[in-house]
Amino acid sequence: MTSTTETRHNPAKDGELALEARDLGFQWASSQPMLRFPDVVIPRGEHLFLQGASGSGKSTLLSLLSGMQVPHSGSVRILGSELQRLGSGARDRFRADHIGVIFQQFNLVPYLSALANVTLPCRLSRVRLEQTRPDPDSAAKELLGLLAIPEDHWHRKVTRLSIGQQQRIAAARALMGSPGIILADEPTSALDSDNRDRFLDLLLGLADDRGASVVFVSHDRSLSRHFHHLVHLGGES
Amino acid sequence: MKTRLAFSLALASLWHRRRVLALVCLTLTLSVSLLLGIQYLRAEIRQSFTSTISGTDLIVGARSGQLNLLLYTVFHIGDATNNIRWSTFRKLQEDPRIDWLIPISLGDSYRGYRVVATDSNFPEHFRYGQEQPVSLAEGQWFSDVFHVVLGAGVARELGHKPGEEIILSHGGGRTSFSNHEDTPFRITGILEATGTPVDQAVYISLAGMEAMHVGWESGVAIPGRTLTPEKARGMTFTPDAITAAYVGLKSPVLTFQLQRALNQSAEEPLSAILPGVALSELWRLMGQFEKALLGITGFVVITSLVGLVAVLLTLQTQRAHEIAVLRATGASTGLVASLHVIECVALALVSCLLALAVGAGLLTGIAPWLLDNYGINLTLRPLNPTEWALLATVPAAAALVGLLPASATWRRTRTQGLGEISGQ
Repeated sequence: MTSTTETRHNPAKDGELALEARDLGFQWASSQPMLRFPDVVIPRGEHLFLQGASGSGKSTLLSLLSGMQVPHSGSVRILGSELQRLGSGARDRFRADHIGVIFQQFNLVPYLSALANVTLPCRLSRVRLEQTRPDPDSAAKELLGLLAIPEDHWHRKVTRLSIGQQQRIAAARALMGSPGIILADEPTSALDSDNRDRFLDLLLGLADDRGASVVFVSHDRSLSRHFHHLVHLGGES
Repeated sequence: MKTRLAFSLALASLWHRRRVLALVCLTLTLSVSLLLGIQYLRAEIRQSFTSTISGTDLIVGARSGQLNLLLYTVFHIGDATNNIRWSTFRKLQEDPRIDWLIPISLGDSYRGYRVVATDSNFPEHFRYGQEQPVSLAEGQWFSDVFHVVLGAGVARELGHKPGEEIILSHGGGRTSFSNHEDTPFRITGILEATGTPVDQAVYISLAGMEAMHVGWESGVAIPGRTLTPEKARGMTFTPDAITAAYVGLKSPVLTFQLQRALNQSAEEPLSAILPGVALSELWRLMGQFEKALLGITGFVVITSLVGLVAVLLTLQTQRAHEIAVLRATGASTGLVASLHVIECVALALVSCLLALAVGAGLLTGIAPWLLDNYGINLTLRPLNPTEWALLATVPAAAALVGLLPASATWRRTRTQGLGEISGQ
């Protein structure tokens, strides 16, 4: 596995890192080969573009960065906390407190309204609730408004909304309560090019407002110009 | 753990899947209704069974076992082993310890229903249930040799009205070939339904019993020797023997003393039984059956719960995405797993509530019909602690079976990566 890292800006001069992953190695099963990952260092508030074809281990890297999995070698530090030192329950709480996640699709809990999906992080995390001003409902409505979700859709069943709207609601949820890191796993792959650019602009703009770092995974290299850092994962395929 | 969040998510999820779950809920409701209904009826039937006869301190008959004596005197099942002499009965009447006596003479039938010959002490002293007397729905008690009063069940089944004349049959059985055709009886009254064997018998006087058997000494009617009603009216009849007697004592403390005296009687072999004791012994015998029935119903509930788990496990694959989302948002494996248990218990609770409503509705609806047609008296009453406990086992069992999908989810989500879908 080969990988390259390009950095358009100098890394942070101070120790204020959003994310620092070094010497990461992970094995799904003892019979499978050890996956090795390039080091990833992102200063607070800066964004990273993680490019790689399918099968390049993107999902595994995101699992390690989100604390869903623990690396077999190396370390992941997010906002100064070393994830592998935490127990699984503490990692769940850390993820609830400091990480927002956007998937490729099926991002929303189908039986909750758009608004309830967006306020979900505030119900799972006290930290996110305390960082939400003035209150979860108003903050969620503001975000939905900024992400151009019409007001009459807020209380609607999310399964009736378009993919683009669902992805923007997922972005609103990830941004709720201003987490330090937002992990976005190919969130635009189901969108057409107009929607893709609009989505990216909105996501990065709102993340900048809230001081959140975005780790954006995509195979589409043309999007990388929006980001401060680029990490390339070389897959076998 | 985030208990409130878990509950609100579980309830929202149940509501979201209400169409699929409605059927499961219906199955569970029906089986819980069945379970609760059988337990309820068990208590009711036991109540009505043990109150078949009340206020009677002793039943005296020819020597036999207490169940046998109880069965043929109270339930009209089986036959008397022997009679007791009229002279013995007369002696009992003079006993200072005895307050009242109801003589019972059995042996004949009317279209399968027992003919009970007795006297005016029966309406006066016989009690059932909560010390309730037997009362007339129509007409009056017999005052003549050839008068007959019908139990409510007999009158309803055969459609008889007061004033009609009926022919009684010699001996028991539904189809008797020797009928007392020379001595028709006129119906003078019909009893109120009691929900006891009283409803399933016809009542005549002891004199009537004697009168219709004149000329029948050999077991069949000898032509010319039987009486006509006209001839009989001028005569007085004294029975030689009766089948049994219900005894009411002046003081209940004398019960055991008199029972011992009667059981040891030197003049004639007698048995005296305490109806309450005999009834509970009989119930112990029959109780096995209703316990088995309750057991079967328990299995029906378990089957429904297994069905519920099967449906929940099937739904689990559909829920993979939402679980991935919840996990990514920071929900712990415990929270995700607890959703299954909460959903199971919530469904069970809804089913229990519906079952209560169904049971109450059904009981209110069919109680009058049951009393009219089968003489079974059911009343709507609050559940007793046993029934509440039985009902509570349903959500408890649901929580247990809910642990199955919960532990499956818990094990899977523990090893899952970000955004990974379980069940794949």
